[in-house]
Amino acid sequence: MDFRPSASQQLLVATARDFLRTACPPEVSQRLALDPRGFDEALWRRMAELGWQGLLVPSDFGGSDGSLLDVVLLVEEMGRAGLPGPFVTSAVVVTSLIVAAGTDQQQKRLLPALAAGERIATLAVVEDRGAFDGRPPALHCAVPGRLTGRKLFVKDAHVADDLVVAARDDLLLLPADRPGITRLPLDTLSGEKLFEVTFDAVPVHPEDRLGGPAASAAALARATTAGALARVAEMVGAAQRVFELAVEHARTRVQGGRPIGGYQAVQHACADLVRDVDGARGVLYLAAWKASEGEPAVVDTAIAKAYAGEACLAVARRAHQIFGAIGYCEEHPLHLFHKRIQAAHLDFGDAGAHLETVARAIGLA
Amino acid sequence: MEFAFTAEEEAFREEVRRFLAGHPLERYPLDGMDAGYGSGAHSRAFMAELGRQGWLAMTWPRVFGGRERSLFFKLVLFEELARVNAPFGPLAGCWQTADAIIDYGTERLRSELLPLIARGEATFWQGYSEPGAGSDLLSLTTAARRDGDHWVIRGHKIWSSHAGIATHGLVFTRTSREARRSRGFSMFVVPNGTPGMQIRPIRSLTGEVYHYEVFLDEVRVPADVMLGREGEGFQALLNGLDSDRFWGRYYKAPALERVLHRLVDYANTTGPEGAPLARDAGVRRRLAGMATEIAALRMLFYRAACLLREGAPVTYETAVAKVMADELGQKLARLGMDLLGPWGPLRQGSRNAPLDGRIAHDYLTSLGHTIAGGTAEILRTTVAVRGLGLPPEPRAGRG
Repeated sequence: MDFRPSASQQLLVATARDFLRTACPPEVSQRLALDPRGFDEALWRRMAELGWQGLLVPSDFGGSDGSLLDVVLLVEEMGRAGLPGPFVTSAVVVTSLIVAAGTDQQQKRLLPALAAGERIATLAVVEDRGAFDGRPPALHCAVPGRLTGRKLFVKDAHVADDLVVAARDDLLLLPADRPGITRLPLDTLSGEKLFEVTFDAVPVHPEDRLGGPAASAAALARATTAGALARVAEMVGAAQRVFELAVEHARTRVQGGRPIGGYQAVQHACADLVRDVDGARGVLYLAAWKASEGEPAVVDTAIAKAYAGEACLAVARRAHQIFGAIGYCEEHPLHLFHKRIQAAHLDFGDAGAHLETVARAIGLA
Repeated sequence: MEFAFTAEEEAFREEVRRFLAGHPLERYPLDGMDAGYGSGAHSRAFMAELGRQGWLAMTWPRVFGGRERSLFFKLVLFEELARVNAPFGPLAGCWQTADAIIDYGTERLRSELLPLIARGEATFWQGYSEPGAGSDLLSLTTAARRDGDHWVIRGHKIWSSHAGIATHGLVFTRTSREARRSRGFSMFVVPNGTPGMQIRPIRSLTGEVYHYEVFLDEVRVPADVMLGREGEGFQALLNGLDSDRFWGRYYKAPALERVLHRLVDYANTTGPEGAPLARDAGVRRRLAGMATEIAALRMLFYRAACLLREGAPVTYETAVAKVMADELGQKLARLGMDLLGPWGPLRQGSRNAPLDGRIAHDYLTSLGHTIAGGTAEILRTTVAVRGLGLPPEPRAGRG
């Protein structure tokens, strides 16, 4: 039992924290959230120079053979900085999918470009049911054939070069600009760029398949675990930042002749932030460690996502109360972190979906 | 990072499981109430059995008869005992007292008490609280005065768990009046039965006796039963409390998991008009949510354990874990009562009592958990002030 990150993980975290402090202050998150495109290409390239997009890519393809635990530690720092963008979808989820299920040709064509930050890919899974629960998609396409239908809540589709589309029998890897594909923006609370993606008789060829049916289902399940854990890391990082801001405010905001953190009512609210952040981080690290060790991690991931979602949202809401009126302002960063937690909480399965996994795991009939 | 136990620790877990399989718990008579913390009832016979297995002294230095095993062996033993609801109520107190004696006890305490503790023949009550000194411990009035080679103690202690069935009290007293409020306190290890000591039971809301009050009327003890340095008892107590909170609650997560599994079985097999409760979406969510919270609690304790192993300060980590453990226990008991409906309040031994009346017992006993060993309020203040560096509230009547 040891909670300390390895030396290389400590270096990764320190580098990320240092870089993001200057490259992504709250003003940048705010600007990108409000901007309809909301993507900073220069920042994306600098991240690639640090090797981040290549963390999960094998060294043969220009990556660094990192583990999911490494990614989780890095994304936690991104969450702490409030960094927006397609990192989790492209560099974690779709990259994992291509590594696990891609053909040699697909890997050769895409992995080096993904690792270098030259290509961006996204994943289209959710349908009208709104659920991300592993049930087979309704969207169906004979291969070769034509694809017609739609996917919802597809993240960063506007900057994506490639789309991985979950169909009933296959994962399809399609260029995002193939005729018949339309990307319609959804206006979200968080400023995350989500899209409805429609397919109107899009031609699909055999070489558009990402792996065979059995392999692709297993790969999708693993990539989904990676995505869920990365989103938990984002929530934990954001909640950590909210906690730091709230305690700093409690220490410095003076009312009635002393800092408000000198009143027990506020002290006790701050104490509960510690429990929620540390508890969420604990279940996150356990699940990420198991996944990285190749142990079954589906239930631990469900526990982490369900617990962290509730706990980190509670942190954000309690921080609003600690901050008082100033936290209600757009120019104050609190709402950015709160909205990010809210978005991450719903992505890759909400608490309800994950609690159902846990319910079955504890033996509920 | 590494979240598995070592091969040696896992081998020890198997050893404990084999022991439990071969030693049915019914063999060990119970002497005192199960207060619901997860450590079960008080059983001298079971403590003696743990002594025979060599587990009470296993982490001590060899020079005191120990085997110098790591702290994680204690965690394994706690987890396995709590998993089956074994009656090891006094164990945490014995280990804590032994560690203090090993660290700074006198020759007399070491030579007389350590062998008794190792055999499971000594158990301890804490004489901290007084009628006028609860959360404000420093306002206590029990005092000891020096008389040659002895100290003479006068005062009144209360809420001392199992004091009437234990062998020794840890009596916290004032030994001098000093300018600084927190100085001038000392701790004594006083054998039960010492002349002048009178122990009276206090019946609890469960109908059983758990707490006692202890009257100390000119109780004369030799000077070398003082535990720690004269006048520095409070700092020692505070340092001890950081780890007491850990050891006094570590077994709660596995114990809550045991109760959760019983509720899952109940929900699978019971329900109105033949439809099991487990089919109810709300019930599923509440039980699953509880499992996630227990998992988070366990990680808080594992993290605190790593800090304790490294000798790092645990100024707030154990306080956070204790508060979460106690509040989660209350939440699980409430959930249990909700699931059981009109059967919930049926006591152990009653006709038709579900789950042996366990949930009703937990519901009542858990009310005390957020009070004993530092109230949830005091501990949240500890987290805020000692952990986060927020300014303490001004104290009434001081400066």
